[in-house]
Amino acid sequence: MPDVSKMKKPDVKVVLLGDMNVGKTSLLHRYMDRKFKETISTIGGAFFLKQWGPYNISIWDTAGREQFHGLGSMYCRGAAAVILTYDVTNWQSLAELEERFLSLTDTALQDCIYALVGNKADLTDQQAQLAQDPDGQPQDQTESRDRTDTLLSACPTPPDSPASLSGVHKQVTREDAVALYGRILHYKGLDEKSSLPADKMCFETSAKTGFNVDAMFETLFDLVLPSILRKRNENQRSPTVDLEEYREVGSKRSRSGCC
Amino acid sequence: MEKDNRQEEEAQGVKICDPPSDSNPPADTLATSLSLLGNHMFPDPSCRNDSADVNKDELADSRLPDDAAAEEPGMDEEPPSNQVTKLETEETDCDASSQPPDTETEDAAVSNDQNDSGEFVVTMLAKAKLEEQGIGVKGRSSPLLEAGPEESPAFVSHRDEDVTADSWRQHRKHVFVLSEAGKPIYSRYGSEEALSSTMGVMMALVSFVQSGDNIIRSVYSEEHTVVFLQKGPLVLVCVSSSRQSEQQLRGELLYVYYQIISMLTQASISRIFEHKKNYDLRRLLAGSEKILDGLLNLVDSDPSFLLAAVHCLPLASSLRDSLSQILQKAITANLVFSILIAKNQLLTIVQEKTVIEDSRLEPADVHLLLNLIGASSAFQAGEIWTPICLPLFNPDCYFYAYISYLDPPECTVCLLLLSTDKEAFYAVAECKRKIEEAMAAQNSLSLIAKAQSYSVSQVGVSDLRHFMYKPFDVPDNYRQLTQFTSPEMEAPYSSEEEKMRLLDLYRYMHSRIHSTSRPLKLIYHVAERETLLAWVTSKFELYTCFSPLVTKACAITAITKLLRWIKKEEERLFIRYPPKYSTTPNPRL
Repeated sequence: MPDVSKMKKPDVKVVLLGDMNVGKTSLLHRYMDRKFKETISTIGGAFFLKQWGPYNISIWDTAGREQFHGLGSMYCRGAAAVILTYDVTNWQSLAELEERFLSLTDTALQDCIYALVGNKADLTDQQAQLAQDPDGQPQDQTESRDRTDTLLSACPTPPDSPASLSGVHKQVTREDAVALYGRILHYKGLDEKSSLPADKMCFETSAKTGFNVDAMFETLFDLVLPSILRKRNENQRSPTVDLEEYREVGSKRSRSGCC
Repeated sequence: MEKDNRQEEEAQGVKICDPPSDSNPPADTLATSLSLLGNHMFPDPSCRNDSADVNKDELADSRLPDDAAAEEPGMDEEPPSNQVTKLETEETDCDASSQPPDTETEDAAVSNDQNDSGEFVVTMLAKAKLEEQGIGVKGRSSPLLEAGPEESPAFVSHRDEDVTADSWRQHRKHVFVLSEAGKPIYSRYGSEEALSSTMGVMMALVSFVQSGDNIIRSVYSEEHTVVFLQKGPLVLVCVSSSRQSEQQLRGELLYVYYQIISMLTQASISRIFEHKKNYDLRRLLAGSEKILDGLLNLVDSDPSFLLAAVHCLPLASSLRDSLSQILQKAITANLVFSILIAKNQLLTIVQEKTVIEDSRLEPADVHLLLNLIGASSAFQAGEIWTPICLPLFNPDCYFYAYISYLDPPECTVCLLLLSTDKEAFYAVAECKRKIEEAMAAQNSLSLIAKAQSYSVSQVGVSDLRHFMYKPFDVPDNYRQLTQFTSPEMEAPYSSEEEKMRLLDLYRYMHSRIHSTSRPLKLIYHVAERETLLAWVTSKFELYTCFSPLVTKACAITAITKLLRWIKKEEERLFIRYPPKYSTTPNPRL
């Protein structure tokens, strides 16, 4: 078996989906380059390779614009994890996930895992405003839940109120996301008890401050590992000769992680 | 001294190309209707002239200096006149749905003394801007403004400009795109919402003239030229104070149209509007505004668009050949174009042999690709895979473009691979690995890094400050990409203002040479601070800029030397024999 780190073919595919301007590119940029900077609306989809231990994880950062909607299912084909991203200050961005993006995931793997990520939490949340340690300590999930609860009682915003120009309100609560997660499982025909719990799969992040970003990506990567191992076992059992593998052995170049 | 149509433009009033039929409404009816339209929308006629006169002072500066054609100092500058306005329309077929014909028929123009109407049109457009901001309508602010898209600090740009401000009106060139139903699609400055009634007036003008089996082409006022272009269900309007010719402005609108097509395809736009006349196309173009903004900035600052030719980076022919060979070897099924770009200029281009046997890549399509790359460099370590339509190649179909930088984090060398297979990303990405490996083996990146544009001093012709040379004499067995070569703009054209001034002079020369009513072969133009000579032959098109006081004889001698130098250097300056490859066509549905 060839050295896995030299394999250029990615082991597993993770896709970022969500409406335009929710911060998909910024989340990935924060995670890969440890930076937050102004981005331009993504064109089509952008492919990144992340080295995760001995594995290569490919990440597709897709365009949220309706213009590229037709490509969505192509980017999702064979995905092991889909990150459904919304903007916590924009109710419509959560609604779009259900209306526009969920059906794109039909081409993903049968056992694909889904994460719901509410970005721009720094705009609504004191805690998310603090810049993270650059090394990114994974956040305790229970802690983040408490935080949301206190915020909820402090500022009960009706979900459909428009964002005012003076101050940005939180339009999507964690409960809304958890409820949507339930509906996603239902849509996929998955049993809630045997699936990953909503608590674990709903995140609130800030690409601007780095809040919860590493925790989100790394939780997912750890969760898709079983999928990688299973895929590899299947490949080993496959009686077909894989020319790719032979070609790879001779080649010295390896594409390391992007940063 | 020649007189071109600039003289005619001074004729006052409305001009309509007289159709042979009697069905055309008389010009006075048109004027009355325009006035009625105006009165209906803006009941107070007293502020009619306020907004149309904003740029009066600027005009004096921006106007081109007198020119001397063929050694004779001429004075063909337009005298300022109070009502220099013209509404020009073009005759169409009886079938109102037909496309506007490409040919110009200016000769048939009939002048009518309706002094007010053209001026009124411009005033109306300006007033519409006031109206929609609620100015003059006390205590009522526009609901459109409040319902604008969510503001985010990252997007504070021209989009959020106050369209009532003087600064908004003083922009050199406005571009608007709207649908036939009058729905705003794009505005270069200010948000489309805030401009919806202005665009409504534009559409009213277009439809009114159309109802008389005519097509509105342009409106001239003292400071502004308003040019209209109708393409399928889209209407594009340019309001310019740049003194460019109508043909040039229309060409720029065509680029904007093509850029939209490159993102959506012509077929899908037609389908959408057939299905729903008042569809809001911004839904599909949302996020693409920066691509259009970028295109318009390039159009203003890069002469490639004016010349409809591609600028390639000067490179030793051996290096260019070796790069081409690398691209030629790294192929996969359904790959049709491999393009290498450095510093936004072409290094080499390799194309599939059979798929495009008798067609070639048009310069305009390359410009759109280069603009797309410039506008998509947000996060450069990744590999982009996106559908893209090349409108001149085929306006109705998508290619799939693979875009990746070869030298992160500098990101100056960009590889663009075009495939016809939507699913080919991994195969095409594999081609990139091969190209990367081969380039690493040959140390190509560091060689490319050394390549740069040249200085005019290398030509060794004194008094020559700058030039643009576009040859037509390419080997005819290759229907080749039209290219041009040009040195860096150096002192005295180093500041942005001076660069723009030189480009404006070139644009002026270009408009004179390519005047539809009176095309010229050679112009010797003594400007205020330099002397220019433009020359078109069957083999090339050349624009040169000399220091002042260079006589015509001196300029001709210098040009002879320049042409000799270009001939000597052409292997380095141009892509001479674009190589091809063959990928087994494997059509997939």
